[in-house]
Formats: sequence, structure tokens, C-alpha cells
Amino acid sequence: MAVLKNKISLKNISKTFYLKDRTVEVLKDITFDVKENEFLVLLGPGQCGKTVMLNIMADLEKQTSGAIEFDGSRPTMGDLGVVFQKYALFPWKTVIGNVEMNQKLKGVDKETRRAKAREYINLVGLQGFESSLPKQLSGGMKQRVGIARAYASESDIMLMDEPFGALDAQTRYQMEDEIIKIWEKNKRTIVFVTNNVEEAVYLGDRILLLASRPSYIKKEYIVDLPRPRSQTDRAFLELRNEIVENTDLDI
Amino acid sequence: MNSADTKKWYYMLPIISIAILLGGWMLVAQGEGSMIPTPYATLMRFLDICVHPISKAVLPVHMWMSLKRVLIAFVFAIVLGIGLGVGLGWSTSFHAFADPVFEILRPIPPIAWIPLVILWCGIGELPKVVIVFIGSFVPIVLNTYSGIKEIDSLLINAGLVLGANRRQLLTEITLPATTPAILAGIRTALSSGWMCVVAAEMIAAKQGVGFLIVRGQESGDTALIVACMLVIGVVSLLLSTILSKLEGVLCPWQFSKTK
Amino acid sequence: MENKKKNKMKYLCMSLVGLLIFFGIWELSVRLGWVSDRTLSPPSTVIGTFIFKLTNANPDGSTLPQHFMQSLKLALSSFVVAVVIGVPLGWVMGYYKVASFLLNPIFEIIRPIPPIAWIPIIILTMGIGMPAKMFIIFVAAFVPCVINSYLGIRLTDPVRINVAKTFGASEWEIFTTVCIPSSMNMVFTGIRLSLNNSWTTLVAAEMLASTRGLGYMIQLGRTLIRPDIIIVGMFTIGITGALLNNILAMFEKKVAPWRYRE
Repeated sequence: MAVLKNKISLKNISKTFYLKDRTVEVLKDITFDVKENEFLVLLGPGQCGKTVMLNIMADLEKQTSGAIEFDGSRPTMGDLGVVFQKYALFPWKTVIGNVEMNQKLKGVDKETRRAKAREYINLVGLQGFESSLPKQLSGGMKQRVGIARAYASESDIMLMDEPFGALDAQTRYQMEDEIIKIWEKNKRTIVFVTNNVEEAVYLGDRILLLASRPSYIKKEYIVDLPRPRSQTDRAFLELRNEIVENTDLDI
Repeated sequence: MNSADTKKWYYMLPIISIAILLGGWMLVAQGEGSMIPTPYATLMRFLDICVHPISKAVLPVHMWMSLKRVLIAFVFAIVLGIGLGVGLGWSTSFHAFADPVFEILRPIPPIAWIPLVILWCGIGELPKVVIVFIGSFVPIVLNTYSGIKEIDSLLINAGLVLGANRRQLLTEITLPATTPAILAGIRTALSSGWMCVVAAEMIAAKQGVGFLIVRGQESGDTALIVACMLVIGVVSLLLSTILSKLEGVLCPWQFSKTK
Repeated sequence: MENKKKNKMKYLCMSLVGLLIFFGIWELSVRLGWVSDRTLSPPSTVIGTFIFKLTNANPDGSTLPQHFMQSLKLALSSFVVAVVIGVPLGWVMGYYKVASFLLNPIFEIIRPIPPIAWIPIIILTMGIGMPAKMFIIFVAAFVPCVINSYLGIRLTDPVRINVAKTFGASEWEIFTTVCIPSSMNMVFTGIRLSLNNSWTTLVAAEMLASTRGLGYMIQLGRTLIRPDIIIVGMFTIGITGALLNNILAMFEKKVAPWRYRE
């Protein structure tokens, strides 16, 4: 395998919150690279600071110490695709209005941005729902809009914060297959955060297992299972069990 | 009794209830020396004032006078109220600067402004409009402000990562997200404004439904008073129905039930 | 950390500047003759009048504390009666369908009539004494109490009722231990509205028919062209209203702490 170049490098990132009566150390000395077009999964128990880490990468929060480097210059706001756990769709915008938002904010003219939005709506399989409002969609469909909206920023880096965490199990399996399909059709660098071990093993090229409070990288797993993967496959289960044994209990 | 019968029985109850209300009303009205007009007298008085003018105007004209005062004041209250609310919610500096003054004036009920406003503006149209303005301005400011403060931070983050600058964050994300709260403020403002116009007209006016009520009081014409009370209630109901319809149009993602 | 403190200082200064400008313009506009002193009194005069009115009954026949006590007594007594009758009535209407079908239409008719519009008919039938005014304020305070308690019961989460049923609770037990506690949020909203309504309506009632009370005082101030008296009255009314609201909020915090976050 050719040596892949690094898209993002986090170097000794720490984050501490100073509250009124106490200080909380959330991230402790986190260092890792994200390689081009890989599907990297950050796996950790609930409340372990995964979202904070993603927010730091997305520039929504500042790290207390450490540095973050991107291949080339740091992408400015709007040049990074982010998918949120609770969808964060704009309820007053239709599906296409949500998907074209990034281009609209950049001042792209209506015809161009609509055409592009349609392209991404097709990519996530929502053709026919362009003019629906978010409240008319099911959870799975909402998150498809969220993914299309992130893709439409045309960034080659996608940050996904437990995107399927709010879905029921059945829809979740479907969306896991869907995200792989989308990614294989339109390769981008994905950093995917989850607290679900099966999801991590099913999706990731590589898994970083995080410890809880403060978070640091406990272990790295390379998942070289062929795709499409099966959750009942023996190798899959072995890897799953190994990870589970290493996971901090989520209290 | 089976459940279908029970249901029928329940649907009869409102009719019974209205009948009891009317019956009770008639009973009170027919008592010895009662000042209360009978429902029939009230209805007749209502029809009468629709055709025969009081103080040079028939009832619909009085009503239009009152409505006009509310509508004019309302336009100003909406524009300035949303403006001030957005300012208070959006800019911490402006909030620090203007909020204390607003907080001092806010708890004064609009009706308590009436004497001062009459001293300022005399007794023409202006004082009524000003009082309705005060009564509807405050709820719009408060709702706009708290709407902006309580906006889901997730939507702000989504706007930020999609590349919104500060101005776009306000126009593209914050304002649309606050629309339902603003509409709720407008709803409160409308009923408060309608109450204020009635009060202002009762205290000093020569036309309007509030004036008619006081005229009824001065001439002991209780049928006129009750007829006007019911008219005022019906108008207030109509206004809030129109507003609900408007909410569905302006804000379909929140209010309309289409699935 | 340092920055936060700096910001706090900055905002505090801005608040002071805002207040200073407000009161400064107010004072100067009259002192420099931009506005006639027959339409507005400067804050300094208002404070003087306030102190004067604390002990002196001129020119309106009562001292400020007398007006104040009169208004407060009226508003609070009617308000309390309205809450004591209105809230249980709303609960019963919310829980027992017969009561709801029977009483709801009547409330639907009464609700949209602003309380102020009741004043003339009540004055004509009951005169201008204490009972008439109490009744006016009662009407104003009663309606929101009933409607909000009613809605509070109707909006009870059916899951909670089902849980109670599986425990074998009787109808009455469900009403008292599930429905009433879950309605408390709405009940308090209603009580708040009620308090506001009674204070506002009181001012209106006193302006229209009274010989004492804060509403009477400001109305007389208008007749005598004494803006200083009007403004003293307005601020007394406003501050009292705000205080009553805060006292109610404190009471709520005690009785229903779940309404407040930490």
C-alpha cells in the first residue's frame, strides 16, 4: 500500500474547562494523524470528550494546549463538512434549502448551487424530497439531509459526531451501509465519532479507542476486514470482543 | 349506557351549558329592580346601534375607529419592538447599555401610562395610539429577546461550520429560528393592545367601542354596555383567529400541521 | 479569566452610562425648557414629590402609603380569592369530562372580553365601593387561573396515568397524585398571569371609579396637571408589580423547584 499523506495532524492536544468551582480536564495529550480518504473512527464511552475533540477540529472550540495541522492551510469555516448527532437541520428550510446553505452563504448564484444541491440529494438517495420540510422526514432521512449538507460544502474532510446515535437500531444498520456506499462513491476523509463498538468495527479503516475522563488514546486498531463486512463474521466478532475488553466502563 | 350514547350525551352538554348561561342571565335580568338587561334587550340594542348612530357614528364605525388605532400602533410596535429585541439579544454591549432603562420602564402597566400620555399628547388620536403602542411594544421586545437568547446552540454551530459570517448568522440563522417566538410575542401584544385601546377610549375618547361602554355607563344604558362587551370579545377572538392563520403562513415549519 | 473580569467591568460601565444618559436627558429636557414642566417633571422633582407624598395628603386627599395600602389590599385579596376558587375549578374541569363540557363553553365566551370592559357594568350594578372593585379584579384574575389549571390537567402525560393505573390507583388517587402535580407548571403560569392581570385591572378600576388608591392618584394628577404626582404613581405601580412578581417567583421556587434549573 502506498504511503498516504496526512490530512490532519493533532499534536499533544489538551483541553481543560475552567468552571466556577472546579476544573475539568477533558482531553489529555492527544496525538494522531488522519490520512487522506481514510475512514477513521474515534470510539469512546459516552461523555468522554469526543464531541469536544471534533469541535476543536472544526474550529468551534479552542484547545487549551497543543497544535492542529492540516494538509495545506487550515480550512476556514464553511470549508469543512460537519454532520451533527441531532441533525441540526434548519427547520424553516426545505431539504434543498438545507443542502444548498453552504453555497448560499458563500454567495454562489442560485442556479449553480441548486444544481449542486440536487447532485448531493441524489447521492444520499433523497430525490423527490427536495421541497419537504425537515419535520416531514423520518430520523434516517433527516440524517441523510445532514450528510448531503456536509458533502455539499465540497470539503474533502468530513467530521461526523455520532451521526446515527439518535436513530433506532434498524435504521442505524441501514444508514451504516448507506454511509459506506456514499463514501465509496465519493471518497473523502471521514472522521467518525461513535460510542458503539459494532458500528466502529463495521465502518472504520482504523479505530482509535479513547479512554474516559480525561480522554487519551488508549489503543489503535487497524481493521483490515474486506468490505462489505458482516457483523457475524468470526474475525469481526474477535476484533469486537478485543475492543470491548479494553473499553472503559461507561458509568 | 353504551359509549355511543355517552358520546351523544357529551355533545349535548355544551348546548345545555349555553342554555344554563342564558337562563341564568334572564333570571338575573328579570329580578325586581335589576340593572342587568335581558339577552333579548341586549340583542335589540346591538341591532339598534348598528343602524342608529351614537355620537355621530354607528357601531361598525366605532369599531373601525378602535381597530384603526390598534393597527397603526401595531405597525410601529412590531418594527421597533423586533428591532430593540434583536439589539438586546444580539449585542451584549447594547444589552448592557439599554437593558437597565428598559427594565425600569417595563413593569409599569400600559394603562398606568394613560394620564401622562394624555398630558403629553392631548386628547386626539395620538394618545390612544401611543398607549396601544406601549402595551404591544413590550411583549414583542421581550419575546424577541428571549427567543434569540434561547436559540438552540446546535443551529448556531451548524451555521458557523457552514461558513456563516456574523451578519449571515443573524439574517440566515438567528432571525428565522426566532420567528416562532416573535409570533408568540405578537399574539400577546395583540390582545394587550386591544385591551389598551378599550381602556384608553374608556378614559378619554369621543369614539370607539371603549367610549360606547362608558357612554352606556353614564346614561345607565346597560344593554349598550353588555352589547359592546360581547362585540369587544368577538373582535378579540377574530383577531386571534386571523393571527393563527397568519402564523401558519409565515411559519409553516412550526405551526402548520400538514404532514 | 482576566478577560472575563474586564468584560464584566466594561458592561457594568455601559449600563451606568445608559442609565445616566436616560436620566440626564430626562432631567435636562425639562430644566433647559425643551419640554414644558406642565407635561413632564424632571427626576429631581419626582424624588422630591415622592418624599413629600410619603407623609403629606395634599393635593389628592391621601398620603402615598395610604394609596398604596388601599391598592395592595384590594388587589391581593381579590387575587387570593380568585386563585383559591379558580385553580380547583380548573382542575375539576380538566379531569371530569362532564364539568369540562358544561363549563368550558361559558369560559370560551368570557375569556376574550378584556377585564377592563367589565368595569362599567359592575359599577352600575354594584356601585363604586370595595365589593365592586374586588369583583372586577376577581373577574380579571379568575379566568387565567381556571384556564391554565384546566389545560394543565388536560396535558398530563397519559403514560403517567397508565403507570398509576397499573399500580391499582383509583380515579380519585390518579386525580390527586398524578394529574394535579403534573399540572402545577401550567397552574403557576396561570397564577402569574392572574397576578399581572389583577394589578393592571386594579389600576384601571381605580382610575375610572375611586377616591383613593394609586390609580386614583395618577388620574387626579392628570386633572391637576401635576406630572410629578403621575410619575411617582407610575413608578410605585411598576415597582410594586415587579416586587409582587418576584415574591411569587420565590414562592414558586419553594413549592415547585423543578421549574427552575440550578
